[in-house]
Order: sequence, then structure tokens, then C-alpha cells
Amino acid sequence: MKATSIEKVKELQQDASNIRNICILAHVDHGKTTLADALIASNGIISKRMAGKLRYMDSRDDEQLRGITMKSSAISLHYLLETKEYLVNLIDSPGHVDFGSEVCTAVRLCDGAIVVVDVVEGVCPQTHAVLRQAWLEKLSPILVLNKIDRLITELKFTPDEAHLHLQQVLEQVNAVTGSLYSAEVLEKTGQTESSQVEPVDGEEVVYDWSSGLADTDDSKLYFSPSHGNVVFASAVDGWGFKIQHFSRIFSKKLGIREKILTRTLWGDYYVNTKTKKIMKGAQAKGKKTLFVQFILENLWAIYDAVFIKRDKERSEKITKSLNLNISARDVRVGKSEPRAYLQSICSQWLPLADAVLSSVCQYLPSPSEINGDRVEGLMCAATKSFSALHQESRALKQDFLSCDPTSSTTIVLVSKMVAVEAKLMPQNKPRPLTIEEIMKRREIARQRHAERQEDKENGNSSTENSTPQILDENETSAEELPKNEQNEKNEQFIAFARVFSGTLKVGQTLFVLGPKYDPTSILDLNVSAGTELEEAIESNPHVSQTSVTSIYLWMGRELESLEEAPAGCIVGIGGLEDVVLNSATLCSSMACPPFNALTVDVAPIIRVAVEPYLLSEMNNLVDGLKLLNQADPCVQVMVQETGEHVVIAAGEVHLQRCLDDLKNRFSKIEIKASAPIVPFRETVIKRPKVDVLNELIETQDKNIMQKWSKEKEEKTALSKNGKSKNGSVVIETPNKQSTLVVRAVPLPTDVVKILEEQSDLLKLLSSMEGFIKNIIETIHSQLKIKQETLEQIKQLKSSLEAAFSSAGRRKWSNAVDRIWSFGPRGNGPNILLNNEDDYNRPSIWTCAYVDDDLQNIGMYRECDQSIVSGFQLATLSGPLCEEPMHGVCFVVEEWKISAPPAASTEGQKEQEDRSEDKVVTFKEDEPATPVQNYSQVGLLSGRLISASKEACRRSFQAQPQRLMAAMYTCNVQATAEVLGKVYAVLGRREGRVLSEDLRDGTNSFDIHATLPVAESFGFAEEIRKRTSGLASPQLVFSHWEVVNSDPFWVPTTEEEIQHYGEKADFENQAIKYMNSVRRRKGLFVEEKTVEHAEKQRTLSKNK
Amino acid sequence: MSIFTPTNQVRLTNVAIVRMKKCGKRFEIACYKNKVMSWRNNTEKDIDEVLQTHNVFTNVSKGQTAKNQDLIKAFGVDNQTEVCRQILAKGELQVSEKERSDHLEAKYRDIATLVADMCVNPDTKRPYTMTVIERAMKEDIHYSVNPTRSAKQQALQVIKMLKEKININRAEMRLRFFIPGKEGKRIRDKLRPMIKRVETEEFTSALEMVCLVDPGSYRAIFDLVSKESRGKGRVEVMDLKDVEETEEMF
Repeated sequence: MKATSIEKVKELQQDASNIRNICILAHVDHGKTTLADALIASNGIISKRMAGKLRYMDSRDDEQLRGITMKSSAISLHYLLETKEYLVNLIDSPGHVDFGSEVCTAVRLCDGAIVVVDVVEGVCPQTHAVLRQAWLEKLSPILVLNKIDRLITELKFTPDEAHLHLQQVLEQVNAVTGSLYSAEVLEKTGQTESSQVEPVDGEEVVYDWSSGLADTDDSKLYFSPSHGNVVFASAVDGWGFKIQHFSRIFSKKLGIREKILTRTLWGDYYVNTKTKKIMKGAQAKGKKTLFVQFILENLWAIYDAVFIKRDKERSEKITKSLNLNISARDVRVGKSEPRAYLQSICSQWLPLADAVLSSVCQYLPSPSEINGDRVEGLMCAATKSFSALHQESRALKQDFLSCDPTSSTTIVLVSKMVAVEAKLMPQNKPRPLTIEEIMKRREIARQRHAERQEDKENGNSSTENSTPQILDENETSAEELPKNEQNEKNEQFIAFARVFSGTLKVGQTLFVLGPKYDPTSILDLNVSAGTELEEAIESNPHVSQTSVTSIYLWMGRELESLEEAPAGCIVGIGGLEDVVLNSATLCSSMACPPFNALTVDVAPIIRVAVEPYLLSEMNNLVDGLKLLNQADPCVQVMVQETGEHVVIAAGEVHLQRCLDDLKNRFSKIEIKASAPIVPFRETVIKRPKVDVLNELIETQDKNIMQKWSKEKEEKTALSKNGKSKNGSVVIETPNKQSTLVVRAVPLPTDVVKILEEQSDLLKLLSSMEGFIKNIIETIHSQLKIKQETLEQIKQLKSSLEAAFSSAGRRKWSNAVDRIWSFGPRGNGPNILLNNEDDYNRPSIWTCAYVDDDLQNIGMYRECDQSIVSGFQLATLSGPLCEEPMHGVCFVVEEWKISAPPAASTEGQKEQEDRSEDKVVTFKEDEPATPVQNYSQVGLLSGRLISASKEACRRSFQAQPQRLMAAMYTCNVQATAEVLGKVYAVLGRREGRVLSEDLRDGTNSFDIHATLPVAESFGFAEEIRKRTSGLASPQLVFSHWEVVNSDPFWVPTTEEEIQHYGEKADFENQAIKYMNSVRRRKGLFVEEKTVEHAEKQRTLSKNK
Repeated sequence: MSIFTPTNQVRLTNVAIVRMKKCGKRFEIACYKNKVMSWRNNTEKDIDEVLQTHNVFTNVSKGQTAKNQDLIKAFGVDNQTEVCRQILAKGELQVSEKERSDHLEAKYRDIATLVADMCVNPDTKRPYTMTVIERAMKEDIHYSVNPTRSAKQQALQVIKMLKEKININRAEMRLRFFIPGKEGKRIRDKLRPMIKRVETEEFTSALEMVCLVDPGSYRAIFDLVSKESRGKGRVEVMDLKDVEETEEMF
């Protein structure tokens, strides 16, 4: 068959009723791409012999290598069914779980779906998923039962067994559809019931327990061969049939009406040869069903003759009786390559493409038959009702329904952006020459030949120069264009789109409506065209205007240029990369609501941090990541606070593909992927009452604490410092000028929560704080603080007050007014509290309450900032592993500054700090007293910073310290069978199950759990592997949680040593986390270079 | 007679010798390899895991033990274990390969962490990660760690070297100046060369200015202000480093 010309396609596109937009859906490895191959071969794009081996739609290298499809790609096929010509836009989709989003984008654009099921494997998890997806998008499906050849060759079933097996598979599939259907009906009736008004009193209430299932008709829903929506096939061998095919043949032979045969060919019917009647109950009577007798046995006979026994004579007989023309070559190789022989017989006898495409054209709707439900589903999200849309938006429904290419409103849905290498673009491709061009070239060649002849005759070389020149010109002009383009960009983004209404033309200007666009916002403005409208567009971030630069027809690996695309087509649109990120709606009217967000089943969950191998290539990486983000709807890319670039993908395979793309296409640099850095927090808790073995603690815990901090003290030998009983720490500056007494207290959880939520406000507050003491009047005008923010601050204050008082009125009395600072960075969840009675510091809230009196109290005020800086530094990196603190309150119990000791040069000489030496010399040069004073202040402030930092750290250490781990909340949907395995994985990774619910109408459970982020790397993959894909987790960061174990706990009593071993390192999660962070940061880790002295490898290297 | 020939010579394996010279005598003890450093930084608490034997030698490889009188003369005690402890704490030893590499690696990490902490990508104002810095130290500037210099000193040196190769800068400090009176203008002009960028500036009765500076010049600025303004001016640190802190989705 000759390949369909582009002109033909264009012609067919004009009438929407000729078009079928379909996609192939199935579990991984059920033969989607092979089926697509067979269909493509019927159009002559690839050879029939190669169909099934070539996997034409898998255009990527890694797709071919791994043998799985990774992206959805489209191709337009031409099909002739009983004098009517059809254009079938076929989209092949991936079956692997990781690429669920690609399936979404494919499903979105189609009206119908071919669901492929491997008869040997039956219904698999992903089959469920795609059926559900097709259901949600309201596609009409047809079923292809694939790989029937495996029943014959691998499982060695008899026709009877095979029939039984096929029935079971069909039932499985129908059971899935049935459950989807019942779930929806139940949901609907549930909604209506709940909305019903309560009956009037006194009347007897009659409950309806039928749940509405019985009322709704579901006969159309199911797959049944007699309806013609089931195809039996073997895509590898290139054959496939419908019942109708055989009923036509046998109705002639048997003289039974075709209709009856169609009804009875599948099912429990047999033919009574005597009466020539079809009777019911074949199984009960032990008779062969029609299906076995007429269809399967014939098939089995062919396989037996050609493939298993390799009986040449019998095979020839069969071919003759079937009236087939088998090429001599196939017959010859029949002996050595029976499969090829078999394929050529079967594909002629029962061509797969015919069977599939005919049912596609007959049973699947054309774009013009789009039903109202689906349009409403597309136009509005599930939560909103269609009637809630704007008047003008609702009017557009008619445009959808009519699917009229001549309609004035053009509506196009872009479901994804595809990155295409520039050299594959049609304008850059060497195209086959047209006949005129060939003629021209031949003419030139002939001329040249003639000239050469002449030259020879004349012996004259003068004319030779002219001819090559002409040729050169031709060639250069042809080459120039692609070169220019290539220089511009290596990757071009083409939108994968479908025209729903009107005709899309090159050069047309359309509105690009982002997914969050709300038509009412513009329509309510009631702006007429012109400048006002433009202003409205500019002000709305979700709308922009663009013109279509090019339109393409998807042809698998290739693209063909088009000038226009009428309604119903699936096309590629160029020139949108700057305005469309992933998906969008293009429309000629502003009234169109953006299409409902894709129902993506798989959310990205696997995180890795990527970085360039060479730091200098950072910018390439960032650019590449941007491209990747645009090219793949399911990948998320973000920059974290730590500066890491994190790629979040749907699964391991998906991630691998993303990284490959990033490396080879988008950024073209060497990159490294690693587990992202897991953040921790440090905090203190109230002294626990019981120890690990649930015994009362009296002294032992304290002893350990003190021992630890004493060791610390020795290392950072500062001047005198003491510790009082309640855990407050006394610190003096090195010159003994100032004394600080600080105590660390855990903050109440409510307070921490408020502080975390309001961090922006706190930031503002702390930035204003400094200004107060300068010129209070100017701040308000200067910063232009809105009245509302002031109100917010007041609100924050009162809510904090409430939280504190609920935590303990006595303990935290007046705490809010005494807040000195928040930390780290002025907006963290830690508080510095001023408990020094002598220091009447203006409250941090002053800016909101202007009437506060301001008084400067000398030295204290001067050094105020130093104490705060020290506090900020300490909270930024705690003593456990230099991670920020969380929920700690440092109470400054006492702060004394004595008068500067009179030029105590001796004291200063002790200081080794170079800068301080400078001050000393400077003082000697210029003995003026004021200067000396101020340098003293400067010196003191520096020392105060370190003193206050040290005081905070020390007081922190004096309390029971704990590590806080970031936690994910984890939602897992799992079926009952794999529930145990899910629990096992969660348990191993320190997860905690919070709840477990059975979902209505299904047998799957919703498990709600928390999981430390530190344990989450590889979690999704593990859970999938363990449950063979039946459970899929979703992780969202939720909160910080204190790790219960004490990182410094060492067993001391005999009992404990018995229980935990000498070091207790195997169960102490906190110490594991702490040491891993310390090791990463190069801090001191308390661990031995070698564990056992005697068990070392003692040989030197060269022995 | 014992002649030291290859056949009767016993090679010591798994032995690290700690030596100490005291009172003109040399004392040695036989320890296990890779253990002495752990003992010194207090991670190994079991002395039997450190010492091969509690004997004190004058020459370990020849097996000559020290005389008791010498021990008393030098250390004041004849308790072998006590002497061993003293030698362990203060004697000199050849640091074994593993210990050395562990130490160097920790230092290397420490430096990288410090650099990552102090620097940002000036284009995006985002920090580089430690692993990137670590690799850049190896690949781009071939930095070799000096085990004796402090990590901070070396980090500053690394930053200087990295700046030449890649786009990296110290994270800038945000300072606020408050300089009263007519001093303001003069001091501001003097400050100019040290300031990277002025964010806000208010000059009414006093100069009030918020600006970004390189953290390296903080000390100089501070001294300048306090000296020139005769102590009336104030410098406040608003932000230790000006870094983009939020997460950003592409």
C-alpha cells in the first residue's frame, strides 16, 4: 500500500466526521507499540515484515534500548472502510507507571481508546489505572485481547481451554469497568442523598437501600465481542479478528443469519449439526462452543501446521483453502523461520489493522460526536458546576459540540510541550524532490553532459566554469536556511494540541489562557476591544496573546508542515515556547475557561539533587532544568534554601529519563545526581521523667549531661563560668566587663506554630525594630507600612499572648512584652526573652504602638545589638550538628555591664586577636579619652557577641537536647493483599501509621502515615517493588518532629548495657542522624578510626 | 648471640611506637596502629585497645625494656601503666596513614562547609552546595589541605582562589549606619570604596544608611566609623549574609 500523501490528510481533515482521535492504553509490555506498528504498516509507512520489531513510535534511543515507551507520540493514519475514508489520529502511550502523566496528556486529546490486555497476564495494575483514566475522561474504549499466540505456543492450551481463559480475562476487564461504574454511581447517589431535605416530622421515613445501582443502565458499558468492541489479536504475528469477521463467513457457509451468528459466536452456544440450529448450554452438554469450533480450532490448526509441526504440505493446503497469496520467499523460509511464514499467512488471512481500525471507525465517536458531559467535564473542574460558569463561557459549549471548522471561535487545547530536535523539523529536513525538481535536475545534468560532450569535441575548456557555478548556487541556497535555524536553537518546543472548534491557521492571533485563568475576571470587566482589553491582558498573569508561527502534523518520528488545522485534528503548534509552560488553552475568545486540569494519578515523588560536575557550568544546568521543566509535565524542578537544585520525578525510570535528557539534550553538560541534603533542627525539651527503660530518672541523666558540657567547656576554655541548678549559665566577657546569665527553655508548641506561620511578618518586624530607636516619626512615612500590616502585627501579638497564657500563665507571664528578638535571621521560631529587671528595653512591638515612650539607657542600649547578634548566630547553628534551632526560648536572667575597667592594658595584652592589638596601638597613639571609650564600646560589642552566642549554646547544652527531623506525611493507596507489605516498608523506615481507611466501593485502603525525610530516599521505589506496583505513596512535607532518643545517651547501669549493648548505637536514631550530618560537614564525630585494634589489616600495601 | 639478620629478625606488624625523651633517656611504648589518635581525642576509652603491652621499652623493635630506676628518675613512678599513659598523652608518634587521611578528610569537609556557608552565586544570590564546592576545590583549583592551619583561614584562601575560576562571591553583609551630625557626609565619602551597594539612604539630621558590604571589610568599616565619628556613629549588622532563602519552583 502506498503511503498516504499529505494532501490526502489535509483533505480528510476538513470533515470532522472522518476523523477518529484515539489512543492506545495498556499495562507495560502488553503490546501497545507493537499494535501501533501493525497499524502503521497498514499505511505503508513501515514494511509489514518489520511491523512489531521496529517499534516505530519509540523514537528515543533509550526507548529502543529499554524496550519500553516513555512518551506519548502521535501519528495520522488513513483508513478506508467500505468506500468511506477515515483519518485516524493514533496516539501511542507509555504503559509504565512512571509515565502516567504522559498517558494523561494522550487521553485528554482523544475521543476513544484502544485498551490492550495481554491474555496471558490478564488485568494488571496499570490496566486498572488506564481504564480508570479513560473512564474519568469519558472516552469510549474498545478492547484488544492481545498475545493469543502465547496461549498456543507457550501455554499449549487446547482451543477449549483458551476459550475459557479468554472468557475469564474478559470478565476481569469488565469487572474493573463495573467497579468504576458502581463507584461513580454510588458517589452520585451519595451526593444526592446528602443534599436531600429531611422529611417532615410524623411521616414515616422510607430508606432506599438499592443505592441506585439497579436503576442505571449499564449494558453499554461492558466489553462484549458480540457488540463488536472486542478484538482478538496477536500483534506480534500481525493478525486480529472480530466476531463479525467470522460471522460473515460462516453465515454463508451454514446458512444462518449473520446477526444471529454474531450474537451467538461468543458465549455458551453450540451448533446442533442435525437440526442446523444454534443451541444454548454448550458447556453443560459438553459440546464445543461456536467460538471454539469455528474460530479457535482453525487458528490452532494453522499454528500447529506452520509453527509447531512445520508440515509443509498441510500449510500449503491451508493457504490454498484460505485463498491467500504467500510470496515464494516466505514459503521457502517456512522451514527455517516458521514465524515469518506464519506471520505472512496470518496477516493476510486476518489482517490486524483492518480488524482494529474498522472497529475504531465504527464504534468510536468522531470529534463531532463529542457529548455534552465530556465538554462540561473539560470546561470546568470537578468541584465547580458547569452552571457556575459565566454566561459567555457557557455559550461556548455549543462550539465544542458542533466541532465546526468554519466556526468563528477557535478553541485549541495544548496538553503538553514536546521538545523536538531542530534537525527533525520539517523545514530543516531534506525533503524528497517533487517531479518538477527531478525534471529540472535531470535537465541540468543533461545540459552538463551535453556541454562536456561539446567540450570534448571542441577541446575547449572555457565553458566548464559556468556550469558548476549554477549547481553551487542551488546547493548553497538550499543549505542556508537550516544552518541559520540550527544556530539559533538545538531544541524547539512544539505544543501537542487538539483543535476543538474553528480552524487554526498559521499566523492567527490567539489568546493563551493559562491553567489558572478565570474568564469571569475579564468578562466582568466588560471591556470592549482596544487598549482597555490589552491593559486587562497585561494585568492578568494567566493570559497572553500570541500568534501561531507554524502548524505540524505528527507523523511518529517526523513532522509535516501544515497551513491550517480544522476542528477535530491533533496537531503540533510551533512558536509557543515562550508563552506556554506545560499546558494551556488557546482561544480566539477571552470567554473560554481554561481546560480542566489534567487528572494526573502519579504525583512526582522521587527527589534527587542535581549539580554540574564542574561548578563553572552552573548556568548551563539552570537553563537545562528550565527546558526540562517545560518539556515534561510531570517533572518538578526547584531550588532549595540550601542552593540545591532538586528534580522531582514520578519514578526511578522517569527520573533516569529526565537525567538523560538533561545531560544529553537540554544542558549538554556532565551532571551529578545525589540524595538531597536532609535538613534537621535542634531543640531542647523538658527534662524527661523516665529513662529509656521506663524507670524514674533522678540523677543519672543529669550527670551525663554535665559530663558532656564539661568536656565542651574544657575545649572552649573561656573565663570563669558557672552553672546554677535550674540550668542557667553564667558567662563573662574576657575582660570581665559584662556578665550574662542565660537559661534555655523549650517554647510551647502553639507558640512555635504561630511563629512558623508568621515568619514573613516577623521579618518585617525585626527589620523595623532597628529604626525605632532612631527616628520613630519617619519610619511610617519611610517604609510606607500599611495600616493593615500594623493590624496584623497587633493580631500576631495578641495570638502569641493567648498561646503563652494557655501554656502556663505563671511561667510565661508577661512574656510577649519581654520578647527581645526572634531568631535565626530575625524571623525564626526561637525567642530571646529579656528577664533582666534593670534593663527596661523598649518592646519589639513598639512600631505598632507608637505611643511607647523611648528612653535611651546608655551602655545597655549600645550593646543591645550585640546580644541579639549573638543570639542569632547561636540559633542559626546549634551545638548538636550546626543545624538551626527550633522552638527554643533563651531567657536572659541577668545582664550586667560594669563601668569599663580603667584602661586595663594588661587584660588586653592577653588577647591574641590581631584586630584588638590594633586598637591597643591606636589607643597609645591618641590618648584622648572619648575615643578610648568608644573603642571600648566597639571592643565590648564584639566580645558581647561571642559571649552571648556562647551563653546561648551553653545553656542549650545544659538542657536535654534533642534532634528534630523533618517529616513527610505519606498517603498510600494499597489494596488489601499488599497491606502487610506496605506496613513492613513503613516500619523499616521509621514510619508511623496514623490512620487506615477502606475506600467506599473499592477494595483499596487509604493509609495515612508520617515518615522522616531522612528515610524517604528510595522509599517510593521500595514500596512499589514490594507491592508489585499495587501501592503508590505520595509524600508531602508536613512538620518537624522531635526524634525521641537522646543523641548523647549511653547506657550506664548494668541492666541498660544488657539491654542495649555497650554503645547503644544500634537503636539510637538521633545519634545516627547527628553523626551523619557532622560527618558531612566535617565536624568532629566521636568515632574511632578502627573499631578493634587486633582486627586490622596489618599488611602493608605492597605485600 | 643474637645477630640482627634477616632470618631471625621479627617484623613488627600492627605496631605503632610512641616515643618520648625524658632525662636524656628514650622511652618507647608499643601501641596498636590507628588507635593513638582516638585515645588522644578521647573517643577510645579502653587502654587495652591502645597498648599492645603495658611495658615501657627503651627500644620496642629490639624488645629492650626500660629499667625501673630510669622510670622513677624520669617519671617519678614505677607503675608501668601510669608511665604508659603519660607517654601516650605527650609522646611523639608517626601518625598512621588512615588517621592522617581521616583527619585531612574531615578538615577538607570542614573547609568546604565553611566556604559554602560564606559564599553565594552572585547572579542568583543563592548559596552553592557543599558538594559542589568540594569538587571545585579538587577539580578547579587543586587545593591541598594544610592540616595545621585552621579551617577558617584556609576557607578564606580557597574563596580567593575560587573567585578567579568561577562565579562565586562572599555573601554580602547588610549593615546599617547611623551617623549623627555633620560628620555624616564626610564619613560616607570615606566609606564609599568599601560599600558594595547602598540600599536606602536618609539624610536629615543624621545620616542613616543601609548597605551591603563585603564581610571581610567589616572590621575596617567599624573602626573607621567609630574613629571618625568619635564614637557617635553606630554600625549595626542587620544580616550576616544576604542570601535568597525561599524555595523556588521553576
